[in-house]
Amino acid sequence: MEEFIGEVWHKYISSKVATGFPEAGVELATFQSQLSTYFHCLGGAPGKVVEAAEPRILGNHRPLLQRIAGSHRRAALCWQDQRSLRLPPVIDYLPEKEQNEALYFWLAALGAKLPTMKHWFVENQLATLAILTSHPGLKTGYQMLAKAVVAQRPLIEHLPQKLQAREQAIQRAILKPGSVKSLPLAIGEPLFVPLWLYPAPLYDVGAGNVEDSDEQGASSEKNKTESLNSPRKSAQYFDDEKQTDGLLVFKLEALFSWAEQVDMDRSQQEDLDQDLQGAADDLDVITLSRKRKAGSAKVKFDMDLPAPFNDDLYLGPGIKLPEWNYKKRAMLKDFCFVQPMLSDEAVPSKLPENLKEQANCLKRQFNLLRPLSVLQRRQPFGDEIDLDAWLDIKTQPNVMIDGENLYLAKKKNARDMSTLVLADLSMSTDSGVTTEQRVVDVIRDSLLLFSEALSACDDPFAIYGFSSIKNKQIRFQLLKNFSEIYSDHTRGRILAIEPGFYTRMGAAIRQSVSVLKMQNSNQKLLLIISDGKPNDIDHYEGRYGIEDTRQAILEAKRQGIQPFCITIDAQANDYLPYLFGDQGFTLVRDIQQLPKMLPKLYLNLSQSI
Amino acid sequence: MTQTNADQPIHYQAQKSECEIFEAAANNKLPVLLKGPTGCGKTRFVEYMAQQLNRPLFTVACHDDLSATDLVGRHLIGASGTHWQDGPLTRAVREGGICYLDEVVEARKDTTVVIHPLTDHRRVLPIDRTGEQIQAHEDFMLVVSYNPGYQNLIKGLKPSTRQRFIALEFDYPLAKLETQVICQETGLDKQRAEQLVLLGQDIRRLKDHDLEEGASTRLLIYAAKLMQTTLTTTQACMASLAQPLSDDHDTIKAIERLINAHF
Ligand SMILES: Nc1ncnc2c1ncn2[C@@H]1O[C@H](COP(=O)(O)OP(=O)(O)OP(=O)(O)O)[C@@H](O)[C@H]1O
Ligand SMILES: [Mg+2]
Repeated sequence: MEEFIGEVWHKYISSKVATGFPEAGVELATFQSQLSTYFHCLGGAPGKVVEAAEPRILGNHRPLLQRIAGSHRRAALCWQDQRSLRLPPVIDYLPEKEQNEALYFWLAALGAKLPTMKHWFVENQLATLAILTSHPGLKTGYQMLAKAVVAQRPLIEHLPQKLQAREQAIQRAILKPGSVKSLPLAIGEPLFVPLWLYPAPLYDVGAGNVEDSDEQGASSEKNKTESLNSPRKSAQYFDDEKQTDGLLVFKLEALFSWAEQVDMDRSQQEDLDQDLQGAADDLDVITLSRKRKAGSAKVKFDMDLPAPFNDDLYLGPGIKLPEWNYKKRAMLKDFCFVQPMLSDEAVPSKLPENLKEQANCLKRQFNLLRPLSVLQRRQPFGDEIDLDAWLDIKTQPNVMIDGENLYLAKKKNARDMSTLVLADLSMSTDSGVTTEQRVVDVIRDSLLLFSEALSACDDPFAIYGFSSIKNKQIRFQLLKNFSEIYSDHTRGRILAIEPGFYTRMGAAIRQSVSVLKMQNSNQKLLLIISDGKPNDIDHYEGRYGIEDTRQAILEAKRQGIQPFCITIDAQANDYLPYLFGDQGFTLVRDIQQLPKMLPKLYLNLSQSI
Repeated sequence: MTQTNADQPIHYQAQKSECEIFEAAANNKLPVLLKGPTGCGKTRFVEYMAQQLNRPLFTVACHDDLSATDLVGRHLIGASGTHWQDGPLTRAVREGGICYLDEVVEARKDTTVVIHPLTDHRRVLPIDRTGEQIQAHEDFMLVVSYNPGYQNLIKGLKPSTRQRFIALEFDYPLAKLETQVICQETGLDKQRAEQLVLLGQDIRRLKDHDLEEGASTRLLIYAAKLMQTTLTTTQACMASLAQPLSDDHDTIKAIERLINAHF
């Protein structure tokens, strides 16, 4: 009951103080891609995307009624960091739809001109001036926006006296950018300016604690009114103030519900069978055992356990493979045990937002590579007469020219190539590239972009990952096989890759070769992505590992497969030429280039054979 | 194939020292490779240089069905039986002149067979079909162009071909020069030309992201021409700078916004 009254009260009081024009509201989602293009045109950093900003707590002065309603404390401000330009998810600040729309584009332009900011008040004005100079077409539009924005701000004389000077300065700065050199001091934060950019929220973490400070400022008011909100809202609030805690609560919750669901699925035997059948269809070579690994039905919460030993599905009983012992100069038969597996629990997902742009670009390029039909000359059969061939016979009767091949025929000039990408998922890929990115993250992005590109041109490809602990535990992880269509499921699996242990490369290559061999294409490419030497914790290191890998590569070549290694190991020049031949590898010095390079490399390889 | 040696003087505004380098190459009988994005003035440059050096120009636009035969020549059937006709390359080799192979990577692979012996010290053109070996004329010069942009990821030039040429890199001219080019080619007033160049620079930022290629000088010239008709500026720019560059609705819309931000 109490809650009900609370809600009614909240509704009533909110409607009393509502500002903004919901009917004229414009959503970011509608314009997101246009805004992003616009932002880049005006000089925004190419890698940056446009995203929705989270609402943040404002410390500005609010009239009594707004404070009681608990409204107007939060608003989504426009700001940016290295990753993206954040724009409000909705803008309904101005009465006309076109105005709100224009406001979005204005903010994108300003964002492009003002990538970093120290002095909010001065720099916003200067950037505004700069844009209006370089883009004079915006002048009239800006003036209209400025007037409309000022019209939404409080009349100076209605404000408490000590806030007046500051508000006056801001309004003047909006109307005549560049005209006000400094912002008069006053208590609290100034009312937010929807035309301007703000620093990143971290900057004013304290803002949440800034009490409304004016005469009537009963500080407990805030808490009271806040508790009147719906529970979800207060959870969000909590989330905002203690970012990490909030996140964790959310994650665990999700994990639990997910675990429940998983269990349910498992109890339905038929479903499981079907599931496995699906997985079997997915497999290229491996026969199937219809048993799950014991304990796989439990979701592990133990974060210390390395990811690969979570509950991936074991595909088949495993495969025995030989290994080359260079000291004995002999193949050790059945020495290695490779376990193919599939992380069937990976959640199907879409391509991450930050890769979309690059992916689209690649897709367009690769689309052009779809097989075209071309006219082939001097064919025994065909649609048209090859006049050149005929003339040659007529003019040079004594020269033998391919018999009676006198026709032009249309033929599809397809690249007939299958590619298997083998990604090193060993422990070393856990190391950081930057503070936010590990090697494995870059590998993941590269695999995703590569897949996007290749699926656009219909060339068959498969992706596997590997890591090992000694010769008996070599994980060969199926991410995408040749027959499977690249889908959200595949993406989910690629997104879920995590670093494992060591790098027993020879066995992984041999297994890949046996998969690739079954493809019918003319060319077969084995692309190995690695971040270091072959190694394992037994004797598989140094010379031993290298010699075995070299044997595996030679075997591959003998079977008509072209191996190529992409490595990020700066010392690779020592051993890679020995392994792959000097045309058989490339060293990526800046691993962040890898996602871009991989598709290009593919193109070069596809024609060099 | 087109052969030009126009009477009217051709205008070309040098970007760097390309004219001197080209002339030096010509005097030393060295072949030249021009690389750069589409519409940045490569063809214009060759036409200009041909006129400056007073040599006839044989231009061949290469395409994926262009074979060595098309360059070298073929037998034709006439009233009195068959006779041989020289292709553009053979003519340039015999008579002296600049043979310009535009977008050379588009041509079939067998064209390299005739290009190679012409581009090293031998300077000979072997013609299989007639059994001839032609020693190149004093004034013969081979010029090829290619656009290292996206399409040519696949095709690229082989090092063994590349390394037979003196290479000149072209790019869209700097703002000031591009403004001059636009004014001179179209007669547009300086102020609007300057703004047009700024617009072009904004659009070029989208290269490799939303667009395969940025707005070329050629397209800016088109825009400038349309702007002097009865069309509105927006119409002119949309037709010449937005629609030709993309089919993506959002990209076009964003460029429209951008155009309106400039004019
Ligand atoms: N430096 C310059 N001086 C004079 N005109 C120029 C210059 N640069 C470009 N132009 C103009 O740009 C137009 C396009 O140039 P051109 O046709 O030479 O391009 P291109 O580089 O050969 O392009 P493509 O690779 O598409 O063949 C020319 O018609 C000319 O009007
Ligand atoms: Mg040209």
